[in-house]
Amino acid sequence: MEEKFIIPQKFRLLTIIFIAVGVISFVVGLLTDPTRAWANYLLNNFYFVSLAIGATFFICLQYITQSGWSAGFKRIPEAMTAYLPFAAVLFIILFFGIHSLYEWSHPDAVSTDNLIQHKSPFLNVPFFIGRVVVFFALWILMTQMMRRISLREDLEGGMNHFVRLEFLSRVTIFIVAISFIFFAIDMILSLEVHWFSTVFAAKAFVAAFLHGAAVITLIVIILNKMGYLKLMNRSHLHDFTRYMFMLAIVWGYLNFVQFMLIWYGNIPEETVFFVHRMHGVFEVLFFANIVLNWGIPFLFLMPRFSSRSRMVMIPVILLLIVGQYTELYFEIWPATVGEAKFGLMEIGMYLGFIGLFSFVVVTYLAKANLVPKNHPFLQESIHHHF
Amino acid sequence: MVGVFDNEFDLIKAFDQVKAKGLKIDEVYTPYPIHYILEGMGKKTHMTHAAFFFGVFGALSVLGFMFYASVISWPLVFGGKPFNAFPSFMVVTIVATILVVTIMTLFTFSIRAKIFPGKTAKIVRPEATDDKFVLVLKSDEPGFDKAEIEKLLKNNGASDVSF
Repeated sequence: MEEKFIIPQKFRLLTIIFIAVGVISFVVGLLTDPTRAWANYLLNNFYFVSLAIGATFFICLQYITQSGWSAGFKRIPEAMTAYLPFAAVLFIILFFGIHSLYEWSHPDAVSTDNLIQHKSPFLNVPFFIGRVVVFFALWILMTQMMRRISLREDLEGGMNHFVRLEFLSRVTIFIVAISFIFFAIDMILSLEVHWFSTVFAAKAFVAAFLHGAAVITLIVIILNKMGYLKLMNRSHLHDFTRYMFMLAIVWGYLNFVQFMLIWYGNIPEETVFFVHRMHGVFEVLFFANIVLNWGIPFLFLMPRFSSRSRMVMIPVILLLIVGQYTELYFEIWPATVGEAKFGLMEIGMYLGFIGLFSFVVVTYLAKANLVPKNHPFLQESIHHHF
Repeated sequence: MVGVFDNEFDLIKAFDQVKAKGLKIDEVYTPYPIHYILEGMGKKTHMTHAAFFFGVFGALSVLGFMFYASVISWPLVFGGKPFNAFPSFMVVTIVATILVVTIMTLFTFSIRAKIFPGKTAKIVRPEATDDKFVLVLKSDEPGFDKAEIEKLLKNNGASDVSF
């Protein structure tokens, strides 16, 4: 099967316009309200890195479990992981915004606040930057290696590439699981430096996987609508839905556990997070978060007929995409901006990052065969039916 | 009439041809589930819907009971929490709902399938419990021609046909 993806010219133009809109709103934001602009920058950066990490985890899981059904769609998560080098550059720029975002980065706060002082061996600017660099180096190294072997498999065929990828997946899944947990703690949890939460990182990881799986599904459906990926059938859709359904439940569980234990324990170190977030707009977001990320996927993806129907899946996926934004907004805004501001800057920067992400994804989709040619499980994927 | 097959593909071929003759298939025993047979038998199950409603019923009744016990019947201040400590009810609700769904689905299935403890097992052929594929037809149906069906099954690779 020879299938090449050709980027529609209009789409490429649109992504470039989006990127321009994003850059303009970021620059205008920096001049008018730097804290808010950096908060936006952090949110969007984390958002799209978590999608790429979710995609990495997805590929690794398919190899470790030797799943046959997903073999034909391997290129989509692969193209999403290609965003990681771009994200690395963007995160280096975040260095200039550290003082606008993180309380622990101010030397006077460290000297007067006991708790920050206690945490400072871990939370200090050089170590923070060092960790981000190491994490991105590892992620880029692993995903690029997997991509290269996967492309070579297309040319040469044979089982040995699959075996090597399976081994690499085992290594990568450990690296990603451990490093992304620290990454989430650094980026989001340390915004609320006085807060302690033990499930926060696990929740961030599951959220990344959930929304990564949702975006993979969305891209697959769009490509199929455009006339590519002819091998997709309803059984594949059902399998994608299973991922979203299962992860939505895990996410809902972790989200509830975090809230319930903090609510019940009622210790000041833990409740500090929810005290700011249970008033006004943020209270609405607290419930919106649960509905969007758990309630809607749980109810609408449960029946068999709706879990294999695009008419149901696309709205649920779009709401999940909004849900990830809601969750990060709920976590970041009260800690940095202080009040719930949402305006052109948020929309503009989100569009900018969408533009960059989709530009990278379509570019990398177009670089290789859309359907991997010599994957040992390709036939199983084509005939997948249940 | 019972036909014993050695593999899935022979069974499916015979299954299709018997169905094409307009005969009803009584039962098929296979070592593992075959989706084609499941769909081909044309039997729809409402077990999933039943389980969903058992879940809704379980969740509501457990929540209702806890609300009644801790708010209406015997209000106690517990660790400074309000009487209606909804988040902490959820934990019990989840676990109890799973229990209710499991037990009620088990009972529903047992009643529908007429299974109960102590019932003697109905084994059509001993091979059905091993690695063979067994097709069971009713021989008292109108239009049932013993010799013809036996030939059909044998032609499709049935290793044994018995009555």
